[in-house]
Amino acid sequence: MKQTVQMKLIQEKMKPGVITRDGFLDPDRRNLIDILIEDDETVKRMGLSHQQVAQRMLEFRDAGMRGLGEFISIEPHFEVRVDSVRGKLPCPFGDPGIFPKTNVTVRNLERNEEITYTDLHIHLIGSHGFYEGKGSVFRLDPKSLVDTLEITGEEE
Amino acid sequence: MGAFLIGVGAICGISTFLAVIIVVADSTIANYGDVKVTINDDKEVIVPGGRPLLASLMEQKIFIPSACGGKGSCGLCKLKVKSDIGDYLPTELPWMSEDEKKQNIRLSCQLKVKKDISIQIPEELFNVKEYLTEVVSLVDLTYDIKQVILRLIESAEITFRAGAYIQFEVPEYELTPEPVYRAYSMASQPSRKNEVELEIRLVPNGLCTTYVFEHLKAGDRVTINGPYGEFHLSDTDKDIVFIAGSSGMAPIKSILYDMLEKNIDRRARYFFGARAVRDLFLVDEMKELEKKFRNFKFIPALSEPLPEDNWMGETGLITEVLDRNLDSGDNIEAYLCGSPGMIDASIAVLTNKGVPEELIYYDKFA
Repeated sequence: MKQTVQMKLIQEKMKPGVITRDGFLDPDRRNLIDILIEDDETVKRMGLSHQQVAQRMLEFRDAGMRGLGEFISIEPHFEVRVDSVRGKLPCPFGDPGIFPKTNVTVRNLERNEEITYTDLHIHLIGSHGFYEGKGSVFRLDPKSLVDTLEITGEEE
Repeated sequence: MGAFLIGVGAICGISTFLAVIIVVADSTIANYGDVKVTINDDKEVIVPGGRPLLASLMEQKIFIPSACGGKGSCGLCKLKVKSDIGDYLPTELPWMSEDEKKQNIRLSCQLKVKKDISIQIPEELFNVKEYLTEVVSLVDLTYDIKQVILRLIESAEITFRAGAYIQFEVPEYELTPEPVYRAYSMASQPSRKNEVELEIRLVPNGLCTTYVFEHLKAGDRVTINGPYGEFHLSDTDKDIVFIAGSSGMAPIKSILYDMLEKNIDRRARYFFGARAVRDLFLVDEMKELEKKFRNFKFIPALSEPLPEDNWMGETGLITEVLDRNLDSGDNIEAYLCGSPGMIDASIAVLTNKGVPEELIYYDKFA
């Protein structure tokens, strides 16, 4: 699909050193639209929507907040820690507001997997279906994310 | 239709071409010459024009606090601009309150100095200096917290108030093509003038913590600058409640040793939260402090102790332990350091007990 001029501008903001040092795409050289389409198809093939993925991420975040910065056990076999570092980030899509650098680390003890994401990730996935470029430092692979968080699309 | 698409394509192409020309011209052809920066109506420095104000000041050894190294992602490097330098940039606006806009507070990392400018900065920032240090020791306090001791070289001394923080310069390495800065509270007390102790917790994918945990070794040189911060013990006789978790231990430890050395004999209770025994550290040192301090009590609490921990101490979230152990907020002053969630929850408990909000001091990791 053809990339719009507006999307081209957004892609510029995603380059290393503009909003974050590593950017949101590097080393993925594809057009933003192609990255979005591929991840969208992956999520749809799993029978899910980006909003459902983001909702589950948010639920883990909210549950993890109760640990006050330490890992907390969450049934049936998860551990979650919500931690923060100094700083905030704006959305590269230009949405209003800035997002605190809150790291949510979810351990799936049964699968022996761990994943870390931020408030900005939740927003980017829920509002834009954006999981970052392949190979980029902070990319969340949709399949891995869904597997680790055991997202089924049913009410949690 | 074909002609329309060609027209749209041509306009896009021309626009992109012009934008590229402007960017290239601004960075190569545009020569702003030297410009004068007047600081606090008194000091004047001459800097090359066209560069960010934060970097220009840093080259003049004037350090403005910044936790992100000038990427506009921490919002710390604010200062007041007294001359007309044009409208706010889109990258500044998310950080500015209406009140700050009225005062012409600007984000110095985003502001390029293209003509003479007059700024106002707190006087104490003139005391901030850059120090070259050598790593004396690196000790694993827990599986994800390291104690780092840096010795200032060339007989340099750092003067600060207990509770202050420094900025640690991460040099170029595989994750960053240029130096970056991260802020850490000092765990050492002010009397240790020629060394700085830090307690650094591993942040997943963190640029600085990855460097410290995977690359830094004893004998390496590290550049720091500081001191910064307003988190310090106030000069009153009130009882003290310290609350911390994880690497929030650092500034509290500094304050405690400073109190000990200055014979400050105020009643002090230190609530320290962790999940299990493997997350606790410096417990023996705190217990030793209890023996030296007549009025000091260290209260570690575990939120999810493991059976093998055989933990006999306080259990529960630190806020629950605080709630159980603090009868009243009368004559209490509180000092908090940790995650925003822990601080917000602790403030709620403290105010509920009657501690006035203005007597609750905190350093949020945010």
